Amino acid sequence: MPGNLFGLEERQIHGLSDLEARFRLLASRGLSAPVNEDLILGLFEGDILRATGSLVGESLQGIAVDRELEGSGGAAAIVSSLIKAGMELGRKHFFLFTKPHEARIFADLGFSPVASVAPGASAARPWEGQGVALLEWGEGSVDGWVRQRATADCKAAGFARARVGGVVVNCNPFTLGHRALIEYAASQVDRLYVFVVQEDRSLFPFDVRIKLVREGTSDLANVRVMEGGPYIISQVTFPTYFLKPDKGGEVAILLHASLDLAIFRARIAPGFGIGKRFVGTEPYCATTSAYNRLMKEILTSPEGEGPALALEEIPRFEKGGAPVSASVVRALIREGSLDKVAELVPAATFDWLNSDAAASVLERIRASDSRH
Amino acid sequence: MEAKKIATAGSLESSDALVTISPAAGPGVEYKIDSIVMKQYGRRIKSVTEEVVSASGLSGAMVRVQDRGALECTLRARLETAIGRAAST
Repeated sequence: MPGNLFGLEERQIHGLSDLEARFRLLASRGLSAPVNEDLILGLFEGDILRATGSLVGESLQGIAVDRELEGSGGAAAIVSSLIKAGMELGRKHFFLFTKPHEARIFADLGFSPVASVAPGASAARPWEGQGVALLEWGEGSVDGWVRQRATADCKAAGFARARVGGVVVNCNPFTLGHRALIEYAASQVDRLYVFVVQEDRSLFPFDVRIKLVREGTSDLANVRVMEGGPYIISQVTFPTYFLKPDKGGEVAILLHASLDLAIFRARIAPGFGIGKRFVGTEPYCATTSAYNRLMKEILTSPEGEGPALALEEIPRFEKGGAPVSASVVRALIREGSLDKVAELVPAATFDWLNSDAAASVLERIRASDSRH
Repeated sequence: MEAKKIATAGSLESSDALVTISPAAGPGVEYKIDSIVMKQYGRRIKSVTEEVVSASGLSGAMVRVQDRGALECTLRARLETAIGRAAST
């Protein structure tokens, strides 16, 4: 009987007819099916699907509950089923996206807020009436993550907030453009934190990317190169960054980008004592360029959680009249002109590209058409 | 009895509790207890949890209780089940 949790049977959704029922349930709540799902669960009353949700890595997505079960614990039931299924897969920490006004429901289930973006309507915030909140559950939290890494040396040194900078880079791979940005930013502050996107979705693996950033900036004494972790442009905070543009949809990208920036402003920057963010202008990648526009809106606005940040956009470093970017470097590798790369990257990057370790990465670049 | 793997019992539904146990580095047992009635029953939930865990002899574990207003018998049953699951191979 609807409106009652008893007698609901939990099972994984595999078959075509169940998948269709799930698609209809999601659509009735204005949702589309998530991508890259590890596991899809359903709560069934006989053959009728009453609630569904799925696990995508560490995040719980596509949660929809039949209207008849609303308010009687259907959401709690599907969320706990997903958490238990995720734990059995060895995961201890979970994320959940919801609308800001619904965050309270999940707070009762033990979720704590990471950050949220209020519904927008202006040209700079084109996600009308939606907004998004990111919550987390389990072992570890954003504040714990920051505390572990924002080492005492920053606060002990007594740097003023305005004299501590932050840069977020992917460095796929590290070029003279990145070097110029970091060198300039480091010259403007007492301490510069460089966060390298940790998600391993790029053609250059994370350990190689961060190693080349470290080697390429080792002469800059006030620079600290850090792992970006799960809270800076990760599969969790910014899922659409890693999709091809047509799959995400413009508004979803902007909304995720805003959330990522809101986390930086509310959680990361205060923990590290960062008062200023630096960014290079983006001539090529549409996703990154939209992200840069939003930076001004989210980071510097007087409204929002956490103190407002200063933002400095720096023109792309150019060589021979053209901006130097990692995508140009990858294009040169793809067309087999590795020798031309020497002019665009620091020695450490070029040496690595010519080492045996690079062979499989170069092979993948030649075979791919990925943005990343 | 050592915690060998992550195990769960219960749920986040109203009047239930979700108990999760995961292996920890040291020999001790760490607790993380949260409840919607923490103010009223927090101390009791904590002492019941510690009592059931120590009676079982569980070691090297992180025990997490997310209580949603479970009766004491429910909490005990969830704890015993989760401990049994975490210790079995």
